[in-house]
Amino acid sequence: MAAQGSRIDDTLLIREAQRGNRAAFEELVRQYDQAVLRLALHLTGSESDAQDIFQDAFLKAYKNVGSFRFECSFYTWIYRIVTNLCLDHLRKRQVRKEDAHVATDSSGEEYDLLDRVADGRAGANPERDLMRRELGKRINHALDRLTPRERMVFELKHYHGLKLRTVGEILNTTEETAKNTLFRATRKLRANLAAIR
Amino acid sequence: MDCELAQQKIALLAYGELPDDQCPALEGHLATCKRCQEEFAAVQALQQAMALAPAQEPSANLLAQARMRLEEALDTMPRTSWLMRVQQSMFRGVSMLGRAPVAASALLVLGLGAGSWGGFQYAARHHRPVAELSKAVEGTGKIASVNSIVPDPNSENVEVHFNRLVPETAHGSLDDPRIRELLVLGTQSQVNPGVAQNSVNLLARECEAGHQCADGPIRKALLVALRYDKDSGVRLNALKGLKPYVAEDMGVRDGVLEALLDDPDATVRSRAIELLHPVEADSSVRQVLHTVASQDDNPHIRTVSQEVLDQSPHIQ
Repeated sequence: MAAQGSRIDDTLLIREAQRGNRAAFEELVRQYDQAVLRLALHLTGSESDAQDIFQDAFLKAYKNVGSFRFECSFYTWIYRIVTNLCLDHLRKRQVRKEDAHVATDSSGEEYDLLDRVADGRAGANPERDLMRRELGKRINHALDRLTPRERMVFELKHYHGLKLRTVGEILNTTEETAKNTLFRATRKLRANLAAIR
Repeated sequence: MDCELAQQKIALLAYGELPDDQCPALEGHLATCKRCQEEFAAVQALQQAMALAPAQEPSANLLAQARMRLEEALDTMPRTSWLMRVQQSMFRGVSMLGRAPVAASALLVLGLGAGSWGGFQYAARHHRPVAELSKAVEGTGKIASVNSIVPDPNSENVEVHFNRLVPETAHGSLDDPRIRELLVLGTQSQVNPGVAQNSVNLLARECEAGHQCADGPIRKALLVALRYDKDSGVRLNALKGLKPYVAEDMGVRDGVLEALLDDPDATVRSRAIELLHPVEADSSVRQVLHTVASQDDNPHIRTVSQEVLDQSPHIQ
């Protein structure tokens, strides 16, 4: 039952940040930065692109915190900024048709994202690990074939567990549209992954 | 129910987004439709497969690197930039007025007038006695800001351009949209907590009495007060005002559920439970009630939540 306290803290921090208090803004950043980086990393598949989006999002928030009117939570507001930046990135990438699951680290070296997913399950063995990676690659290919908006709705719902009403609010659309988009996304994913059923 | 609609609902069910009251119809359809049963199995299989490839968490190094880069970027930004933006937005507002045809014509006429009298005004300003200047500065209303200072190179005189805040009073009925607009602004008052308190109380009483509170700004103001006001009395009053809209407005319902889950004051949480009476069969409401019944710090609230759950129709 401490969330209300944190919401009030958020309000105080936002008001302080609006008065130009940078420490307050940095405290807000600390609360959301991991979720923001996770979203950007999973959507871009590139550490360097994820860092760029992370930075652009929080700089944009810093510049515009003065116009934040408390009509939604700071969480929704920052997610709205990040998702817009990610959507731009996905649209550009669709034009370039990059291979999303092959990522580049900050030194520019390519690696497979799934190679870095640690398997902490007890009894994990190389054969099962290989199968899991193969499956992961196919899932990433299937995700890449969604439109940027379908990908975003699916990402926010499936990986971030947000309610579709919140997803709609973040993407400036209705809950109904978010529902339809999720339905289309799951249908396409199933079609693309049909062989693994 | 046709298969297309059923399949949409299956996707929502898989993600816990199908309202409880729609479950029986879907179950009925699934019992008789083989195609949709296959669809249901396929959606479950997809979820199982997706669970094997979870999203990668950013490494601690990557996060630290991103934080450092952000700090460096923030260092290069001017400290008062937000203040400058506030000023810029004010000027943008003024320039938008200038773009309006009527305002543009008015500005043109003003410009012509100002031009004709320019020489005379200039001379008059430069020879204004000190006593007259002091009087201008002492006028009614606080000085909000100084816009510019132009020193006269040939004398000790300076010309100071400034803005003044002029206090005004409005008197009218609570149904008057202008008064309501002022009250909505009052709910955000940071200067005097009493203003925010009075504004929320009055708006809540109007909504409770069913006096034209269907418009967005008032509900929004009450929701903001419920979420963020530090005074539990104000939050209680905001709840009262929101009561008539719990059934029809999902945003209000969410606000009340958040208060039930998170408000630090037990009276506010307790009142939130009462407000949920018309929608207690809703899945999201039941979910919150379950959480509160098992986790709330207050034993009375836990008991009441459980009682509400036991009494409400159980739809699965």
